[in-house]
Amino acid sequence: MGSSIQKAIELILSADPELLNILSTTARVCLTSSILALIIGVPLGILYGAERFPGRRVLLVLNRTLIGMPPVVCGLLFYMLFSGVGPFRSLHLLFTVRLMIIAQVVLITPIIVGVMETFVSDTAPALRETARGLGFGRLKEYRLLINECLYSIFSSYLLSFARAIAEVGAVAMVGGAIAWRTNVMTTAIMMYTNRGSFTLGIALGLILLSLSLLVNIVLSLMQGRLSR
Amino acid sequence: MKTRAFHKTYNNRVVLSLPELELPEGKITAVIGPNGSGKSTFAKILAGIERADEKKPILDDADIGYLPQKSFAFRMSTEKNIMQNGGDPARAGELMKVLGIDMLARQSAKKLSGGEMARMALCRILMRPYELLILDEPTTAMDMESTLAAERLIRKTCTEQGCALVLITHSISQARRVSDRVIVLHQGKLVEQGQSAQLLSDPQQEQTRRFLEFYGV
Repeated sequence: MGSSIQKAIELILSADPELLNILSTTARVCLTSSILALIIGVPLGILYGAERFPGRRVLLVLNRTLIGMPPVVCGLLFYMLFSGVGPFRSLHLLFTVRLMIIAQVVLITPIIVGVMETFVSDTAPALRETARGLGFGRLKEYRLLINECLYSIFSSYLLSFARAIAEVGAVAMVGGAIAWRTNVMTTAIMMYTNRGSFTLGIALGLILLSLSLLVNIVLSLMQGRLSR
Repeated sequence: MKTRAFHKTYNNRVVLSLPELELPEGKITAVIGPNGSGKSTFAKILAGIERADEKKPILDDADIGYLPQKSFAFRMSTEKNIMQNGGDPARAGELMKVLGIDMLARQSAKKLSGGEMARMALCRILMRPYELLILDEPTTAMDMESTLAAERLIRKTCTEQGCALVLITHSISQARRVSDRVIVLHQGKLVEQGQSAQLLSDPQQEQTRRFLEFYGV
């Protein structure tokens, strides 16, 4: 175990080409999917939290269901849709990074929507009463609401990024964990462990843990600053 | 300024039913009554925050300012919160000084105490003139010194701007100190209304008498 960890650290320090390829694929998938999820999820979460409209409760239940959706089920769904017998087979997206990103967006957007909706439902009524009392228009009211949400936007992004980087089921199914093409950190750990090659798996595990630690440190530092 | 008669029902129970009411310009009208008498609901309907059963505003088009009982501090400094309601920085500085929060100008408004928050909210609503200004228990969280300063400021604003000012309060002594007219509510109904000095010293209705006696007046 000790020698495996030592070898893993040496592998990280030596900038192994395969390791770098896995890291860059992971960064591409996770950064792109989390930013897309943020762009979709933040306005939806604010809308669900701040407004009351017919069908809102149904949408909230649907969103909560999607938060709990097992990644492997999401992967299976996309596999069926884009495989050789699926309706979208002509797009030739199966086993590509693009489909991995789409699957990740479907998995993590509900998290952002959920975090934003919870915060906004709690904050909007008091803010709105004050803003309307002052005679502010809808635009100014929303500008102030978004200003209140900055910490929630930031923390929901980090949460979704953390979920994306730790996710394995969906990306393994739609990406196929193809070396040098669609292999990300989690799928690579599984692949190398199955082969009995623990060194690269441990190296990737260490990087994943370090990233998780970094995300939490950033979140703690920003909490004080943004919640003021 | 005159309100229309209106009703407000919650869960099939009429919680407020008021006739036409006169809100004279340049005068302070205090709305008093025990808890649950409908004072805050009246303020919200008057401000257009809530709707009466009649589904239309109870006032014709008017520029209305409303300070809710629990004010919200936006995520910014005290001074920026106040400046959100327009006006010039000199006016903001003057108001903060009068209410004793000028030293908190750059502090995050989220970190203000209850009394400081109430003073900030009062400064913010007084930054620009309104035709009708509704203040829902603006001094409840303040100490006596701040309360008296706030009352002087409210009186001065009303006189200078000539607005109709509605002051919701549960303090009889406050109504006596600052208001010109008083409206007494009980269980969602108008008990009586009139000039403050006369009504508070010689109430005509038994309910008003009991309410004043309860508060030791």
